[in-house]
Amino acid sequence: MLKRDKLDTVITYMLLILVAIIFLFPCLYLILASFSKSGSIYSFKGFFPKSYSLQTFVKLFTDTRMYNYPRWFMNSLFVATGSCILGTFLTILTAYTMSRFDFKGRKTIMKSTMVLGMFPSFMGMIAVYLLMTQFGLINHLWGLILIYAAGAPMGYLTQKGFFDTIPKAIDEAAKIDGATNFQIFTKINLPLSKPIIVYTALTAFTWPWSDFILPKLLLKEKNLYTVAVGLMSLDETQFARFAAGSVFIALPIVILYFCLVKNMVEGISEGAIKG
Amino acid sequence: MKKKVVAIMLLSSMMLSLVGCSKDNAEANNKKTSGAAVFDGKLEKNVTIHVLENDTAIDKGYFKKLIDAFNKEYKSKGIKAVDANMDQYSDLTKDGPYGYGPDVIYQANDVIMKYVKGKHVLPLPVEEIEGYKEIPSSAWKAYETKMDGKTYTCGIPVNVQAPMLYYRKDLLPADWKEKWDDNKNNVPDMLETWQSMYKFSIQRHKEDASKYGYMKSISDMYFSSGFLFSYGGYVFGKNNTDPSDIGLNAKDSAKGASVLNQLASVMSEDCIDDTITTNAYSKLADGTYFATLSTPDMYSTFLSELEKSYTGISKNEAEKKAKENLVMTTLPTLPKSGDLTDNSKNEIPTKTMGGVNAYAISSYTKAPNASLLFVKFATKFKMLKTRADMLGIAPARKDVAKSVGGTSEKIYENLDKNNIVLMPSVTSVSQIWTPSQTFLIDIAKDPYRKDAEKKYKDINDYSKGLDEMCKQIDEAIKTLK
Amino acid sequence: MDNIVKKNRKRLKYKDSERTKCINNAQQDSMVHKKRFTDFWKNSSLSVKASFLIMGLAHLRYKCFYKAICYFLIEVSMILYMLIRGIDDVIGFFTLGTVKADAWARVKGDDSIVMLLMGIFSLIVISLFIYFYVQCIRSSYEMQLDFEKGIKCKTFKENVAEYLDKKFYKLALSSPIVGVCIFNVLPIVFMILIAFTNYGGTIVPPELVDWVGLKNFQKLIVLSKFGPTFMKILRWNLVWAVISTTLNYFVGIGLAMLLNKKCVKGKAIWRAFPVLAYAIPGFITLLAFKFMFSYGGPINQIIVAHGGKAIGFLDLDARSTSRIIGLLVNCWISVPSIMLLATGHLSNIDKTLYEAAKIDGAGKFASFRKITMPYMLFATMPVLLSQFVGNFNNFGIFYFLRGGLYNKGYFLASDTDLLINWLYNLSIDNNYYSIGAAISLIIFMITSAISLFIYVKSPSYREEDTFQ
Repeated sequence: MLKRDKLDTVITYMLLILVAIIFLFPCLYLILASFSKSGSIYSFKGFFPKSYSLQTFVKLFTDTRMYNYPRWFMNSLFVATGSCILGTFLTILTAYTMSRFDFKGRKTIMKSTMVLGMFPSFMGMIAVYLLMTQFGLINHLWGLILIYAAGAPMGYLTQKGFFDTIPKAIDEAAKIDGATNFQIFTKINLPLSKPIIVYTALTAFTWPWSDFILPKLLLKEKNLYTVAVGLMSLDETQFARFAAGSVFIALPIVILYFCLVKNMVEGISEGAIKG
Repeated sequence: MKKKVVAIMLLSSMMLSLVGCSKDNAEANNKKTSGAAVFDGKLEKNVTIHVLENDTAIDKGYFKKLIDAFNKEYKSKGIKAVDANMDQYSDLTKDGPYGYGPDVIYQANDVIMKYVKGKHVLPLPVEEIEGYKEIPSSAWKAYETKMDGKTYTCGIPVNVQAPMLYYRKDLLPADWKEKWDDNKNNVPDMLETWQSMYKFSIQRHKEDASKYGYMKSISDMYFSSGFLFSYGGYVFGKNNTDPSDIGLNAKDSAKGASVLNQLASVMSEDCIDDTITTNAYSKLADGTYFATLSTPDMYSTFLSELEKSYTGISKNEAEKKAKENLVMTTLPTLPKSGDLTDNSKNEIPTKTMGGVNAYAISSYTKAPNASLLFVKFATKFKMLKTRADMLGIAPARKDVAKSVGGTSEKIYENLDKNNIVLMPSVTSVSQIWTPSQTFLIDIAKDPYRKDAEKKYKDINDYSKGLDEMCKQIDEAIKTLK
Repeated sequence: MDNIVKKNRKRLKYKDSERTKCINNAQQDSMVHKKRFTDFWKNSSLSVKASFLIMGLAHLRYKCFYKAICYFLIEVSMILYMLIRGIDDVIGFFTLGTVKADAWARVKGDDSIVMLLMGIFSLIVISLFIYFYVQCIRSSYEMQLDFEKGIKCKTFKENVAEYLDKKFYKLALSSPIVGVCIFNVLPIVFMILIAFTNYGGTIVPPELVDWVGLKNFQKLIVLSKFGPTFMKILRWNLVWAVISTTLNYFVGIGLAMLLNKKCVKGKAIWRAFPVLAYAIPGFITLLAFKFMFSYGGPINQIIVAHGGKAIGFLDLDARSTSRIIGLLVNCWISVPSIMLLATGHLSNIDKTLYEAAKIDGAGKFASFRKITMPYMLFATMPVLLSQFVGNFNNFGIFYFLRGGLYNKGYFLASDTDLLINWLYNLSIDNNYYSIGAAISLIIFMITSAISLFIYVKSPSYREEDTFQ
C-alpha cells in the first residue's frame, strides 16, 4: 500500500511538471522576448535571445511620447477594478436570487438568458457603439465600466450552480429564527460563498483587463486607451515593447491570484454544512 | 507576431482602403468649384484644430515640428493646432457624425475617397494652395469626385506611396562591377532586371544557406498585384469603375503569377505566410536578406533598424553608415516572356499598385477656415521639404521632389508616367483581397510541395488558378449585391 | 407486477382529474377576470379613476405620500421624455428617416441606424412605463379597498422591509435586468431588426435605410452560394463545440483534482502555472501561438535546425492540423479558468460523504465515480453549457490563428472557420450587415433551440435541489 502511494506521488509530480511546462512554454517566450536586447523576436538564437537587458522595461515606463504605457495601465486598472466590484455584486445577487427564490417568470428568465448568450456578440457591437454616442459616453472610462458590469449578470449560471449546492436547510433554520431574506443573504450565504465570490471577482476583473474590442470601439483618445488597446496599437517594429507590455499586463492578475487563492480553495467549513 | 495583428488590422483597413479613385476624367477640365461654401475666408477665433497625422510622422518628430511652427505663426490669431491623439486608422465615418472625429486628416487616397462618398470630408479650394501647379494632375485626379455635374477636389496630395525596392549596398558582391554589370552602366544588374535578382538570390543562398537574396511575402496582394498588372492584368474594367469586369486574369497576367512562383522558389517557406513582412526590418539589418519590397514611408524604420545593428561606433557615425548602405530604389524590369531564366533582354517595366497620401478636412469641423489655414501651412514648400528629409518619403510636389532629388524624384516620375496604378474606389474592391491572398499563398507554397503534389506546372495552370480566383471574386460581388 | 399496474392506473386517473381541473380553472379564471374588472369599475372611487389621468392621485388621497410622489414623478418624466424625444423616436422607428444628411451643405439629416436604435429604446421605455402605470392603478385600487376596510397603507419603512424580505428578489433583480435589457437585449433586438432592412453595402449613413421585409431571407434561399457553405460550416462548428467543450471540461476538472491531491505540496505554486496562462489576455496568447506555428516561428526553426523541413501547421492545405491545433490552443486558454472553478467546487463537496464511502469500503475510483463526478456534473452543468455556447461562438481562435483565407468550396470562408467567423467575413469585413444579420438570426434560432433543449433536460435545470 505504501509503495503504491509513493508511486502515485511520483506520477502526480511528473504530471504536474508536464503541466507546468505546457503552460509556461509560450509565456516564457514572451518573457524572454521582453528581456531581449535587440527588441526583435527574429534575432533569437533558437529559443533564446542573443543578449539580455532591462532596457525595454525602462523604455516602457519612461518613453511615453508615442505610447503612454503607465497611463494606459492606470486606465485599465480603473476600468477593471470598477467593473470587477460592480459586476461581481450584480452577478452574485442575480445568481443568489435565481437559486433561492421561486417566483413567476423565474424559469423564463433562466431560459431566455441561456438563449441570449447564443447570439454572436460582435453583431451587437454597432448597437452598443451608437447607444454610447447617444448617451454621450464615448471617451469616458465610466461608460466601459457600465457596459462590463451590465453584461456580467448574463454569466450568472456558474454562480447559481454553486448556490444550488449550499443546503437550503440553513436558510430555513434562520427563517424560523426570524431572519429576513436580506439578512439570510448577507449574514449566512455570503460568508459561505467566498470561493465563488473570489472566482467571480477574478473573472470580472480579467475580462475588462484583457478585452480590447470594446475599449477600442468606445475610446478614441490615445490617453484613454486601456493596456490591451494600447498594445494592439503598437508599431510592428516594437516587438520587445509589446512583449514587455504583455508580461506586465499579466502581473496584476497573477498578484490578485496569489492574494485570493487561499479564499478560493478554503471552501465551506465543515461545521456549517452539518448545522 | 505583433505584426500579425497589425497585418490583420491593416488588412481590414486595406479592404476599405487602397480604394483609389479614378473617376471618369473626360471632363476634368471643367472649371472647378472653389470648395465648400463654408470656406468663406473668415478665420474662426480661439479655436483648437485637432490633426490626425500618421504614426511615423509623430514618431520621428516631424509632426511636433509642424505644429510648433504653425502655432508660433498663428498664436496672435488665436488658432492652435494639436495632435488629435487618435488611432491613425480611426474611421471618420463612424466618429465624425457623432462629434468625435479630428478636424484635419492625413490619409491615403483610398481612405479619403471612401469618406468623400458620404460627404464626410469637405471639397477644398485647391487653387489657393501654394503648390497647386507643382502637383501632377494624376495626383489631383485621385482626389476628384463628381457630384451633381460639378467636379470637386477633396484632398491636398502630400506624398506618393508605391512599393519600392530596399537593398543593402554593402552586401553587393565585391566584384559586381565585373560580374553583375553586363551593360556597364555602373548600376548592378540585379537592380535593373528581375532576372538578375533571381540569379543573384540563388547564388547568395548557395554560398551561405542561411542567407537569401530577394525576400518578400508573396501573399501580400498590395505588393504582388504589380506583377499581374505588368503583364496586362487590371482590377476592374472601364478604368477601374466596372466591377462586373474583373481583369486580374486578363491578357498575360498568368506570366506574372509564374514570375511570383519563381521568386518564391529562391526564398524560403517564410514567403508563404507574412513572416517576411514582419521580420524584413531586422533581417535586412543583420544581412540575412539582401533586398526586399516596402513602401517609402517605412524608410525611416529600415534605417533605424540598420543603425541599431552597428555596435561600437558613435550614433552619428552609425546613422551616416546606415544612410550610405541602405538604398531605396524603383523596381527592376521584368522579362516580356515571363520567365526569369530568360536572358533575351526583352524587358517591360514593372507596374505597381500605389496611392497618394493627402491632407483633408472633416465635414464635421467647427473651424473649417482655420483648418484650411493649417492645411495650407502644412503643404508649403518648406514644410514638405522638412517632411521628406525627416521621413524619407516621396513628395507629390514636383519642386519638392526635385529639391530632394534621388529616389523621390524617380517615384514622382513613375506617378507622372502612370506606372503606379491607383486602386479602384468602388466598394466591390473589398472582395478581391482574401481570394487573391489565398491564390497567392497557393503559388508561393508550390515550390515547397513535393514534385508529385505540385499544382502549378505550366502557364495554363496559372491561368486556371487566376480564372478560379476571379470567379470567386465575381461570385462574391454578385451574390452580395 | 400487479402493484405497479395499479399504481400506474392510479396515477393516470389522478392525471385525468388534474386535467379537467385545469380546464375548469382556466374557465373560471377568465370569468373571474371579467368579474373583477366590472367590480373594479363599479367599486373604484373617483380618485382611483383619476389616477388613470394623473398617476399618484389615489395614493395622495389615501395618504401614501411617498408613493404618490414617486408615481407622479414617473408620469412627469415620461411626459417630458415623450415630448423631448420619445415621440420622434417612435415615429423614427417606423420611417427610419426622411431627410438625407448632407455634410457639405451642413444639413444635419436623419441617421436611420440611430433612429432604429433609439426607436427600440423608446419602445422599451414605453413598456416600462406601462408596467408602472398598471402597477399604479392596481395599487391604488387595493389601497382603496384597504382604506374602506380601515387598513392603513404601509409606511415607507414597512415597504422597505418588505423589499428586503418577501420581495427581495424584485429588488435584487431590478438593476441586473435593466442593465441586461439595455446593453444585451437591445443590441440583439437591434441586430434582429437589421435583418429586415437593407442596411449595408452602399446603403450606410448618410444614405437612408429602409424596411424591406423578408427580402434578405429570400436572397439567402434563392442564391445557391449560401446553402452548401452554411451546412459545411455548421457541421464543423457542432463538432468543434462538442469536442472542445468535452476536452476543456475534463482536462480542467482532471487538473483541479490532480492539484487537490493530498500528496501535492506547494499547491499554490503549482496552480500558478495555469494561472499565468489565464493572466495573459487571450488575444496575446493567440498571436503568440500563431507566431509559434508560423514558418518563421520557433517550432519550425527548431525543426529546420535539426535538418527537417518546415511544416505549414496552419497552411492553406493544412485543414486537419489547423483544426487540431485550434482545439489544443483553445484547451490551453480555457482550461485554467475551469480548473480554478472546479477547485472551488471540489472544496465544497461534503467531506463526510467520502468518509462514509471509505467506511463502506469504496476505493478511490469508486468514490470518484459515485461522489465526485455526479457532484461536479451537477454543480458545473451550467459551466459546461456556457462553455458549449462560448465555444460554439468562439470567434478569436481561428480569426487570429488562420484568418485571411477562403477555401475552395466555401463561400467567403475557410475550412476552419466557425459560423461566427463566416458572419464576421460577411457583415464586418464586407459591410453586408443586413445579410449578416439575417444569417445570424437563422443560426441563432438553430443554436438556441439546441442549447435550450439540452438545458431544459439538464439536471441542474430540472432538479435544482439534488445536492441539498
